Amino acid sequence: MKFGTLLQDLARSAVHNPITEKYPFEVRATPARLRGRLNWDAENCIGCGLCVKDCPSQAIELIVIDKKTKQFQLFYHLNRCTFCAQCVYSCRQECLSLSRDEWELAALNQEDFHIQYEREVDEVPCVAATDPAEA
Amino acid sequence: MEKTEHKKGFTIPIGPQHPALKEPGHFRITVDGEIVTDVDVRLGYAHRGIEKAAEARSWVQNLYLFERVCGICSHIHAMAYCLGVERLAGVEAPPRAQAIRVLVAELERIHSHLLWLGVAAHEAGFDTLFMYSWRDRETIMDVLERFSGNRVNYSANILGGVKYDLDDEFVQFMCEGLDYLETRSEYYLEVVTTDAMFLQRTQNIGVMTRSQAELLGTVGPTARASNVHRDIRYEAPYSAYKQFPISIVLDQRGDLEARFVVRIKELFESYRLIRRILEELPEGDLAARMPRKIAEGETVSRVEAPRGELFYFIKSNGSDTPERVRVRTPTICNMMSVVKLAIGHQLADVPMILAGIDPCFSCNDRMFRVHLDQSVYANVGPLKG
Repeated sequence: MKFGTLLQDLARSAVHNPITEKYPFEVRATPARLRGRLNWDAENCIGCGLCVKDCPSQAIELIVIDKKTKQFQLFYHLNRCTFCAQCVYSCRQECLSLSRDEWELAALNQEDFHIQYEREVDEVPCVAATDPAEA
Repeated sequence: MEKTEHKKGFTIPIGPQHPALKEPGHFRITVDGEIVTDVDVRLGYAHRGIEKAAEARSWVQNLYLFERVCGICSHIHAMAYCLGVERLAGVEAPPRAQAIRVLVAELERIHSHLLWLGVAAHEAGFDTLFMYSWRDRETIMDVLERFSGNRVNYSANILGGVKYDLDDEFVQFMCEGLDYLETRSEYYLEVVTTDAMFLQRTQNIGVMTRSQAELLGTVGPTARASNVHRDIRYEAPYSAYKQFPISIVLDQRGDLEARFVVRIKELFESYRLIRRILEELPEGDLAARMPRKIAEGETVSRVEAPRGELFYFIKSNGSDTPERVRVRTPTICNMMSVVKLAIGHQLADVPMILAGIDPCFSCNDRMFRVHLDQSVYANVGPLKG
């Protein structure tokens, strides 16, 4: 390694600001394909359960309340999720998406990791669970 | 008493918990003064039971399990698994998906080799090179992050194809990164072949002849540095390597310097291949439809990981979970070369010889079962105790 190269780098570094960003005061823009928190669009869901079947870390539970009136509950366990986006790919109705902006997901309580998505339900006719642990 | 000790030597146990080791492995190094007379290696401290876990998961879920065998070469594990499962199912990924797979595999190779260059330089006490190469590695990490959203565990593969497409903005960003890295790689090649201090640690250290390399079953750049023509991309081209052939990088010398030179020259080969893929990228779909249940049968899938040959054996019984998946990573093939090569060298050279094979301990920790059934030996006569 030549001495001149080192000197060049030293000179450049002397006038350059540190490359470290002062997070959380400076937040870097996320890449367009960043895979953050899972969001569920209840309108299009048909309750096929493919997301539950394909999830490698059993982070999704889908409870079918009534398939005809499209009443479902989706439980999303954030602390199990590996953000692989297989559920997004498996969903044929395109109702799942991984957020680009919601990626600061640390929490102090366990409860904050268990997210329940639900559409407004008038009455509850029957309940059939598709918990991956029971399947 | 003293005479006996001198004859036996002194055994230094290193690991499994040791500040010098990044991953758990146990080495018993017998020395006579400063000279190593015997090396014994014991692995298995990071055994995670991945193969057994695979039997309880579906074909799709296993993709993400195998991606986590190795943090550095995650894509190539998923690719090997995908290629095997696709062959069993009789499905072929579209040409564009295959080209993108190979492109990401080459990006991963660049990232892995730059990482190794830093680690190996650090083991030699050349921390400036370590800092330089890891700084430049950030370029390729940014490219991979831009492509997939993740720096590691890109999850670019799915069964039957890939998830992500290339767009013009990304291609532009990647080409700029590759141009920068190419000039840096030329500089690194000059440094590792001319720096007198560094050459003292690498030249004629850990020399492995071609016949030794073949006998010890080495793979990957370790074997190619000893002039062994062993590269799965070259010997048995898979996926898009058939359309985009690589030229094999070899070196005659077989010492540590040759392993540095081979790996850095492979970087240039990767840059060339990526540019060629971008020029002739086929149009078409990103993924083919895969059945949920895979037809009964068994297959072997071999790919060239950054460290060498990666081997997957996959057996299906016709259900939606595999019956058996066997993984053999390159480190286990190369580990015996460390045990043999270290003998006769100074103790201080052992970390360099170990780093020379680019070891990945937790990848190679698999379960082996040796059948010691007496009936096996029935034909060779009675065993003498």
